[in-house]
Amino acid sequence: MKFRIFSPLRLLAQTVHGMGKRVLIVALGMAVSAPCLRAQNAAEANTDKQTIQMLLQRIERLESRVAQLEGTNASAARTEAAMTVHPPAGPAAGPATTPQAAPQTAAQTPEPEQESEHLEPERMDMSKTLLRIRGFGDVDFHGTDQRGNTNAFSLGQLNLFVTSDISEKFKFLGEIVFESGPDNFYNVPGGRRNEFAVDVERYLLQYSYNDYFNLAFGRYHTAIGFYNTAYHHSTWFQTTTGRPLLFQFEDSGGILPIHNVGLSASGRIPSGPLGLHYVAEIGNGRASRSPLTDEPVQNEVDENNYKAVNLALFARPEAIRGLQVGFSGYHDRLMPLGQPRVDETILAAHAVYMLPKFEWLNEVVLVRHGPDGSSHVFNTPGFYTQIAKRFGSYQPYFRYQYINGSDREPIFPDVGRIEGPSFGMRYDASESVALKLQYDYNIARHIQSYNGLTLQLGFTF
Amino acid sequence: MRRLLALLTMVGAAMLLLEVSPGTAKGDPSPAAQASADQNLAIIVNQTNTIDDITLKELRTVFLGERSHWPNGRRITLVMMDPGVPERKAILRDICRMNETEFSRHFLQGLFTGEVFVSPKTLSSPTGVRKFVFNVPGAIGYVRASDVDGTVKVIRINGHGVDDPEYPLRFEARDSK
Repeated sequence: MKFRIFSPLRLLAQTVHGMGKRVLIVALGMAVSAPCLRAQNAAEANTDKQTIQMLLQRIERLESRVAQLEGTNASAARTEAAMTVHPPAGPAAGPATTPQAAPQTAAQTPEPEQESEHLEPERMDMSKTLLRIRGFGDVDFHGTDQRGNTNAFSLGQLNLFVTSDISEKFKFLGEIVFESGPDNFYNVPGGRRNEFAVDVERYLLQYSYNDYFNLAFGRYHTAIGFYNTAYHHSTWFQTTTGRPLLFQFEDSGGILPIHNVGLSASGRIPSGPLGLHYVAEIGNGRASRSPLTDEPVQNEVDENNYKAVNLALFARPEAIRGLQVGFSGYHDRLMPLGQPRVDETILAAHAVYMLPKFEWLNEVVLVRHGPDGSSHVFNTPGFYTQIAKRFGSYQPYFRYQYINGSDREPIFPDVGRIEGPSFGMRYDASESVALKLQYDYNIARHIQSYNGLTLQLGFTF
Repeated sequence: MRRLLALLTMVGAAMLLLEVSPGTAKGDPSPAAQASADQNLAIIVNQTNTIDDITLKELRTVFLGERSHWPNGRRITLVMMDPGVPERKAILRDICRMNETEFSRHFLQGLFTGEVFVSPKTLSSPTGVRKFVFNVPGAIGYVRASDVDGTVKVIRINGHGVDDPEYPLRFEARDSK
């Protein structure tokens, strides 16, 4: 057995012999360049410090995200342990939390993503969706003693309310509604019975610059009065089983241009304790061709170059929390087939007092139609008043409504006069389900008065 | 019909009076002079936020989503703690003057109408709230005064610092039970 004595010189010679001269050249090159690199490093010392600082900050952010994720997991674990019967609040277009519900899981998960959004608001992550969906629906049973009508169970609107925070300033908002039954434009039935149809009721790209200036492009609910922009297509939000006659949708025989396609600007007006707000809108307005079987909302094509304009002002005074008082003015030019053009002006005023346990809504609207070449203006006044008080889960309510249109009215001659009271009771079976029972008594000009009864189960999910 | 409307108006006015009077009384939080500093709730914002002082009324508009931007143009992101947490109870009672159901419904309706731009974020721990506020420039949240550290900025309310005896946001002992 031979013992080999370690010698660096011998090792170097072997290395040179074994690996060739090129390795030696590289090694020598490295040795020569090392001092240069050290000099360069010294020159970049400040840059390194900055890099370290940035890395430390990034580590802190990552730690924060880890802590939040751990918190989320802990919440989920607690939820499972508690075996709660309440569903967790979805990441829907609602508050990130549902009261008395289990600790948030779905709502909390996106928070780290939210941070990213804020830090780099314009970066689009293709691997995730920003879409959130909240649903509203209702199922009804209604009956009336009006001739020709039968009592029936009916499916109300199934409303998918969709939002997406595109960036810090932009947001998408939409309402996709599935509804059954025939359409009814100006009392002209269209479509088939018992069939479902889909309507995109709202379709908006919103831009929020600040509290005083916000823009929305697309299809919106016209800011005429209060009710139209307060409840949209959710029956669950409404105290009663349905909208006032004055604010019925276009495809349910309504007389107002509830929807519009165009541009809407809104915001606060610097006014101190008065709490003034404005809404200014310009859009296609409502179609007026008669007989009308087409969609009255001009989603794609306007029947004329004249655009409908609407200006609304309202105040929410600080001194009386819950009070809102306002008015609006709308103007459009309609072109019914075979008739002179008609100037349409809609004036509306409202005084609303809404607290969590009490509401008192009052609105009055005047629709004015002035045909070209005629000095006569057709006025259609309407109003409703509604009052409700909550006692625990129960909320009794009362509403009186009135519309009076002329029989010679050029745009909606079949509306006539209709008025009457409604009484009802809303019972909130849970935070998301409401049962309503409503009695209506309707007095009309040309038909016999009739009674109606509606039982409704409204819900959000 | 006129009689009916007159009657309804009178009923409405009477109920209105009944509703207004207790509402105004609810707004004044009772100062507990003997409360120690760690029983106060600190309102915290991001260090880059220029705001130093806020009135209780303004704070209410922020916590109800009625105000969406800070003066520096940043979008406000509200951070709430889990339902049932004493700090959250105090905020709902003293600032929002709502219960959980009403608060939830308020925000849902605000989002639905488009008046509220962003829903509040919910976090379960003061550490989480602090870190979220540290990371998000427009964030506002609340923690116990004893949970505050240097990563966030505490703002004064009605001119009072969190240690002042007149500081209006107190986290009362009964809330923690």
